[in-house]
Amino acid sequence: MDATTRPLARARPLAPRWLGRMEALWPFLLLGMAGLCLPLLDDSYLGVIATRACIYWVLVSALNLVVGFAGQIAIGWVALLTLGAYVTSVLTAGTAIPALPPYLALAIAAVSGAIFGVIVGLPALRLRTFYFAMTTLGFATIVTQVALAWRGVTGGGIGVPGPVFPEPFDSRWGFYYFCFGIAAVCTWMTANIAASRFGRALVAIRDAEVAAEAAGISKPSLLMIVFLFSGAVAAVAGGLFASLQTYITPDAFTFDLSVLFFIAILIGGRGSILGPLLGTILLTVLPEFAAPLVAWSTFLYAALLLVIVLAMPGGIAEMLDFRNRRPLEQHREIAPRTDVLPRVLARSGERAALTLQGISLSFGGVRAVDTLDLTIHPGEVHGLIGPNGSGKTTTLNVISGYYAPQSGQVLLGAEALPQRAPQRRAGHRIARTFQTPRLIGGASVLENVMIGGTIAGRGSFVESLLSLPRHRRDEAALNEAAMLALTTVGLEQLASVRADRLQHSELRFMEIARALMLSPTFLLLDEPAAGLSAEEIRRLGALIVAISRQGTGVLLVEHHADLIFDICDRITVLNLGKVLAAGTPAEVRSHREVVNAYLGA
Amino acid sequence: MPISVPEPLLQVTGLAAGYGKIDVLRDIDMTVGEGEIVALLGPNGAGKSTLLRAVSGLLPRTGCVRFGGRDLAGASPRDTVRAGLIHVIEGHRVFTQLSVFDNLQLAGYALTRRERGRRVEEALAFFPEIAAKRQDRAGTLSGGQQQMLAVAQGLVGKPRLLMLDEPSAGLSPVLVDRVLAAAGRLRDTGTAILLVEQLIEKALALADRVYALARGTIVLQAGTDESDLPNRLEHAYFGQDVSAPLAY
Amino acid sequence: MLESIISYGLAVGAVYALIGITYNVMFTASRVFSFTAGMVGMLGGVLGALFINRLGLPVWVGFPLTLAAGAVIGVITEIITVRPVLKSIEQHLYVLSTLAFALMIQQFTAIEWSTESQPFPRLIDIGPGLLDQQFWLPVLACGAVIVGLELLYRHTLIGHAFLAIAEDNYAARALGLPEQSLRMMSYALAGMIAVLAGFAGGEILLAFFGNGPMLNFYGFVPVALGGMGSNRGAVVGGIALGLFQQAANFLFGGIFASVAVFVVFIIVLLARPEGLAGAVAVRRV
Repeated sequence: MDATTRPLARARPLAPRWLGRMEALWPFLLLGMAGLCLPLLDDSYLGVIATRACIYWVLVSALNLVVGFAGQIAIGWVALLTLGAYVTSVLTAGTAIPALPPYLALAIAAVSGAIFGVIVGLPALRLRTFYFAMTTLGFATIVTQVALAWRGVTGGGIGVPGPVFPEPFDSRWGFYYFCFGIAAVCTWMTANIAASRFGRALVAIRDAEVAAEAAGISKPSLLMIVFLFSGAVAAVAGGLFASLQTYITPDAFTFDLSVLFFIAILIGGRGSILGPLLGTILLTVLPEFAAPLVAWSTFLYAALLLVIVLAMPGGIAEMLDFRNRRPLEQHREIAPRTDVLPRVLARSGERAALTLQGISLSFGGVRAVDTLDLTIHPGEVHGLIGPNGSGKTTTLNVISGYYAPQSGQVLLGAEALPQRAPQRRAGHRIARTFQTPRLIGGASVLENVMIGGTIAGRGSFVESLLSLPRHRRDEAALNEAAMLALTTVGLEQLASVRADRLQHSELRFMEIARALMLSPTFLLLDEPAAGLSAEEIRRLGALIVAISRQGTGVLLVEHHADLIFDICDRITVLNLGKVLAAGTPAEVRSHREVVNAYLGA
Repeated sequence: MPISVPEPLLQVTGLAAGYGKIDVLRDIDMTVGEGEIVALLGPNGAGKSTLLRAVSGLLPRTGCVRFGGRDLAGASPRDTVRAGLIHVIEGHRVFTQLSVFDNLQLAGYALTRRERGRRVEEALAFFPEIAAKRQDRAGTLSGGQQQMLAVAQGLVGKPRLLMLDEPSAGLSPVLVDRVLAAAGRLRDTGTAILLVEQLIEKALALADRVYALARGTIVLQAGTDESDLPNRLEHAYFGQDVSAPLAY
Repeated sequence: MLESIISYGLAVGAVYALIGITYNVMFTASRVFSFTAGMVGMLGGVLGALFINRLGLPVWVGFPLTLAAGAVIGVITEIITVRPVLKSIEQHLYVLSTLAFALMIQQFTAIEWSTESQPFPRLIDIGPGLLDQQFWLPVLACGAVIVGLELLYRHTLIGHAFLAIAEDNYAARALGLPEQSLRMMSYALAGMIAVLAGFAGGEILLAFFGNGPMLNFYGFVPVALGGMGSNRGAVVGGIALGLFQQAANFLFGGIFASVAVFVVFIIVLLARPEGLAGAVAVRRV
């Protein structure tokens, strides 16, 4: 059975991604059932605990997007709980302005939380991990200090009464159902985001930032949306918390509490919804059932966190990930199907060439690239070779926008491409792969590839949040496009496998599939053959040729002389940053100086 | 009566190594005898530096490495230095904040004070040019001088085998000759040398034997006195026939 | 009042500077920032009060014992929270492991020692007034550490080895330096510097478990502003912070002083993320 008659594989119906890594809906339904039936036990103490768990989960579910998905170490997020609690309480108690109805107060708290969330999150764009963590801690302290000092409004150390919600939510169980309802809605919303291009983009920023940029994902705008959402929800949780406590003082918002939320997410596992949910329940409930443990509870959480970090960084989610424990077939072959390419690479009328004019770039005192001129025509495979340190990868990085040249420009047709803006290349349908594969180890192969098509989505964040029709259309389209791309490179059998279980050569092809998601007019490949077997290199070559025949211009940076001379239409040889030779493979191969450069005479 | 062949100083058998999931080297066999200079040549990306790192313990490896009759399984760079197998890494990396003298002292960290002092002086004697700058900060030295310092650091360990990774990189031809001449003098004192080089002419002029590494395996081994070496090397590198012969 | 600002300011500033130096010593040894710096500083005060006040040991026994405890905790930090995660690809794990351990230290202290701040023993009876030991003891400690580190790094082989590991870890390994034990010793040294800070500042800060997070933050500010790994920056930053904080305290009162410090910190950091000392280029692709 040859390539053209083999039917196109369909991905195994993936469990809706918003269920974390579980196959089915059942854990959430189970928890939901348990939650709904809880009042039947008629234990009011249990009710308080359950209500508290729901409120904590409301905050954690949104913080999960910041910490678990975007990977930002926002330890001090309790600041927003404090803010929300005080805003709601002050507005309903009437200490600053005449008392407002509780729902309105809660809404205002949400707005203030959104604004403050952005403020607290802003440093994440400029600072490195540890520094950002420290600033969030600083914010948490400041908010508590302000609450303590502003006695006229907040009651200072004495505190202020919490809001009381009107019927039917003023009774113990009534309020429980209120919090449970909000918790359920938050679970649903954040799960929708997790299964959307926004959720995947967040994880991409966390684990493979350069690849995310190449796919067109803008870190600042995405993070700001998430901080806004997370801040608003945390403030709402604060309002509910204040109501539960009935009276709040600044020392209800301790460092311990902040760390608790953070630990719940890490114990649960990043990139999951179910994991942190179980983590939150665990951490809320644990001290209650072991009386002597109460004093030691934070110590135990911390010890648990240490154990998780050292032994199983993936947390509960990783422990429950049975699907990815099934063994994979040992001798796997990568069999690209180039007949599918026309459906992947939509041919446009555009015939513009990608040109480098007089590019120069130095690092320190070393000239990495020296007045380089290079043109890549659509439909041609252009090889770029040279000894180590000749400037090949630097050139590729200039084209893809990661480095700005000190002189010269990169032109697409007649238009100069913006410098140092790698995330704008995707919009011009210029795609690339990387010298070392950049992947999200914890996500499936299909999800990794879908990230490549992030900018093709039309739905907004809110539409994804509420799982509106346009979001669902986006998802279906992305899913199908990604399966097509995987089939093209020959990896469709591995679509639902965790990416970090793949062999190195498969990861290289996966990167190409991800790049194909942009339907690129220009494809830049950075040493794609490194680490591949001879047969795999042959298939890679055939795939690259087929891609170029569809009209895509390919720039191939490589060390493997065989591959270069086999498939390239034109070759440019670099040495010490300058063009040594350029022309057809035959011309270059017999060029005395090229041979010398390689042999280092 | 059967004549037993003495085991070579360095014997590598079936060595494989890589970085994470990427396999770079496959099934490498090579030897270096006492007091000889062996050149390791090959195009970029072939794995020459990787091979040196795998032998000296900077990278994990599978396969067998025997040195001076002892199996170096699981040896860290500290152990191999102590055994007399010393690796001078590429890029003339010295500690720029410290003086030349202190750089050399560090190379003798594990020795007694007196022994360390002696060896440092011996190493400096080998490179009078940097001996004159012993109190200067290593960061003020030129590239060539830093390379000499790096080799001198290697000498402090009193190596039986010194592995030099591209000592000529970034140096002017004059300095390259100086460094390689020092390598020659070392061989005369009985130290074996494994030299990774890009400059084929100069390496062949200095070495006794040569290995060519391409695409992760040894593709050629020969004595440097054999005929037609340049052609055979080019063939090995490119894997194709040469249409324009390289002439000296 | 100016007298009071200067004397208090210099004293707490010196403590902050010492914690900043602790961060730096750990960072240069491992490229890791640890949340334990401030916690161990807190332990300096607590253990000092424990050994001398509660157990009644003389100062010349209690002090070395505290230093030893600091060294031990430093080594434990390296072994269980730093070494295991250095091998991992995931960079962020060290933030979590050191945070976890720091919390364990803090909670243990809160439970076993006290949640109330306890008095710290009077070590030398000079004062009150400007010459009170609570003011010049931290400054003296800071000066001694600076001089000591300078001597260590410039004139001893092991100090050179520390600098080598910090500058080029790979080259140091290739040279055969015992990278692992050098790192452990750096952490032991860092632990001692931290407890010294807490011990010397004990009379001002008192023996209080809540000092941990406070020292973590205020000890970090000099590092962030002065540049990672720069001890000189940490000292200048620490003293400046101490003086600024006391001045703000006096002018605006305690709460707004914290807010003022934090606001200035955030603004400076956002303007110059690598600190006032300069920028560091990192190759990402």
